[in-house]
Amino acid sequence: MEMEVWPFLALSLGVTGLVRLLPWGTERQRIVASLLVLLAFMCWAPFVLDNFRLFQMTRIAVLGLALLGLNILTGYNGQVSLGHGAFVLMGAYTVAVLLDRKEQLNLIDASPWPFWATIIVAGILAAAAGLVIGVPSLRLSGPYLAIATLAVMISFPIIVRKYGAFTGGSQGLGFSRPPQPPFLEDLISREAWMYFLCLLVLVVMVLLGWNLLRGQFGRALQAVRDSEVAAAAMGIDVARVKVLAFVISAFYGGVAGALLGLISGIVNPDTVDIVQSINYLAGIVIGGLASIMGSIIGAAALVFIPSDAAKVVAKLPILSSDVVTRAPGAIQGAVVIVVMLLMPYGVAGVLHRLARLRLDQIAARWREAPALLSRSLQRASWTWDIRPWARHGPGTGHSPREGVVGRGQGNLPTQQPREDPTKGGQ
Amino acid sequence: MHGPLSALLQAGVFLAPKPWDDPRLFGEQIVLGLATGAVYALVALAIVLIYRSTDIINFAQSEMAMFGTFAMWSIWLSGVPFFSNPWALLVLAGLFGLGLGAVVERVVIRPVEGKPLLTIVVVTLGLFLLLNSVATWIWAQGELPKSFPSPLSVLKAVDIGFANIPQHHLLIFGVGVATMVLLGLLFNYTKLGLAMRATAQNPLAARLMGINVGNMLTLGWALSGTLGGISGALIAPVLSLHPAFMLSVLLYAFAAAVLGGLNSVPGAVVGGFIIGVAENLLGTYTPHAILGPEMKLPLALMLLVAILLVRPTGLLGERAVRRV
Repeated sequence: MEMEVWPFLALSLGVTGLVRLLPWGTERQRIVASLLVLLAFMCWAPFVLDNFRLFQMTRIAVLGLALLGLNILTGYNGQVSLGHGAFVLMGAYTVAVLLDRKEQLNLIDASPWPFWATIIVAGILAAAAGLVIGVPSLRLSGPYLAIATLAVMISFPIIVRKYGAFTGGSQGLGFSRPPQPPFLEDLISREAWMYFLCLLVLVVMVLLGWNLLRGQFGRALQAVRDSEVAAAAMGIDVARVKVLAFVISAFYGGVAGALLGLISGIVNPDTVDIVQSINYLAGIVIGGLASIMGSIIGAAALVFIPSDAAKVVAKLPILSSDVVTRAPGAIQGAVVIVVMLLMPYGVAGVLHRLARLRLDQIAARWREAPALLSRSLQRASWTWDIRPWARHGPGTGHSPREGVVGRGQGNLPTQQPREDPTKGGQ
Repeated sequence: MHGPLSALLQAGVFLAPKPWDDPRLFGEQIVLGLATGAVYALVALAIVLIYRSTDIINFAQSEMAMFGTFAMWSIWLSGVPFFSNPWALLVLAGLFGLGLGAVVERVVIRPVEGKPLLTIVVVTLGLFLLLNSVATWIWAQGELPKSFPSPLSVLKAVDIGFANIPQHHLLIFGVGVATMVLLGLLFNYTKLGLAMRATAQNPLAARLMGINVGNMLTLGWALSGTLGGISGALIAPVLSLHPAFMLSVLLYAFAAAVLGGLNSVPGAVVGGFIIGVAENLLGTYTPHAILGPEMKLPLALMLLVAILLVRPTGLLGERAVRRV
């Protein structure tokens, strides 16, 4: 059976959503069951998708891992890092060096490294690098940290090129991708094996991450993000938490890099470039900050926007399809800006609200709709009135947006405190 | 001593050229560093201008400048009389930056003003991706990098007594310093400059004094776009045009701005010149086998991080005191 990727995703997400939303069992049962359904669909993917789409799914798993790492640091802990790509690149190089140069870096009994061991080594080395970068980063915050991590990201490929004797310089290193284990040889292709490997690692790491983030440590991370002073007052060792966030995030990045190297079989300094590293940040913002699911949604966006947005945007009359095929970054940039403006919590935030909707509440919302609409129209006519003769409007100095308030915080006409549809009535 | 270290020592890996062996080369490195330092200082000023008034770090600064420089390149190629003169291009680059900066502030930045740092960082990064990609789409066809005209010659050198300096680098230095002086005059001796400084210092009070704060913020972005545009057109003949050609300049400018202190205008200028000279000296007088010219950027950035660790607010920056 062959399927296109979009029907496949629609089917799997639709069924997952139904399991999640239909009123049965307890909340916890619904969550677990829907995740299992999703996992089952993902295991089915290699048998219905063509090789190109399967490789894209593999890349989503790898990217999702990398984004989850960055989300732990930036989303949960609030440290804005543009240098996550450096950890990913480091993981990829660790695998490449270990697998490519068997003679020089043999294990004790002179056997070559098994590929699964290189993944672990890559994670640990990246975590060590995270420690090295995380400790000095304690003194930096906000924009300074963003700039310093950008510096790390820029420097790393240059250093890799310079010490070419070890890293293969600009050409990089090539090695053969690990073959499927003997008992799977007849069952699945090499591509499917790579996919299952990445999916397995992703699932394990997501479970680890979920376990870590839902507990005391996760709350400490977020407390430090929201207010360092308050967190310290509650007895949290702020420095330790911040450095640990860096180390864990780097570990995830290193493992993702190792998988990235394994699935492509070649690693060079351009495997992860600065634009890619910026894209990681864009990805978690699109997907949703401080959300495991958001990281994976963001990864899907990063993979599918360049390949598929072309077809969607090309249908718009204003743009030629040329823009899209040759400038995928343009769409990505535009999507990032629009998402930032419209959905500050990303796609995951929207889904989270959707998941909490109940049918009766939706009905209540519909009954309320006419009143809501007239209220918002009223508001719009006031703030957006650009008639020059209107007394209230932008530019007259009488518009509420230009009232005497701090800049940027337009003093909108008083809104009726509307009941939050996400709360109550459960 | 045995082992790899002594082998490296004997192989001369750690041997570096010495400044006193060739004083002329040393002088050249210093003057060239001051010239590129002027460009870094301009971009650093652009960053600091925006940061002071709105607390926003504009990561798209480099791409705005790159975009403008490519536009100038198109004008140059089109061969329109008068405008495609390299001198006119310098002025046009500034004007283009002015417009671009104003548009960006009104369309992209205004809606996220006052939002958390991450939001703003991500929006400017989105702008970075957008401009970079559009420029790649429009201009990055055929051979890259493309050459950009200089009003003077990049190759012909002038003997200034202790060093031979390409004419163009003298121009960079001259135009850079002149721009900074003009900017200083604008800020310190005009009513408009006073209004802009007031806006940066306390927007609320400025608004109560009858200053149109929104317009001042747009003007700040426009000015910073101008600085970026001029610096792009100045450095393009040296670096050649490429969609990523301003990225390294942006990093040096970040280094300069952070070195001087992100909220200090004189700091940005001083930092720019220090980074320009340090970059050249680090590239020339470190052992080439392990460091050397290719490692200029990482070395400069390491210097930056080292300084940040000692003085997190930069050399001339003020420590911000926060009430919690």
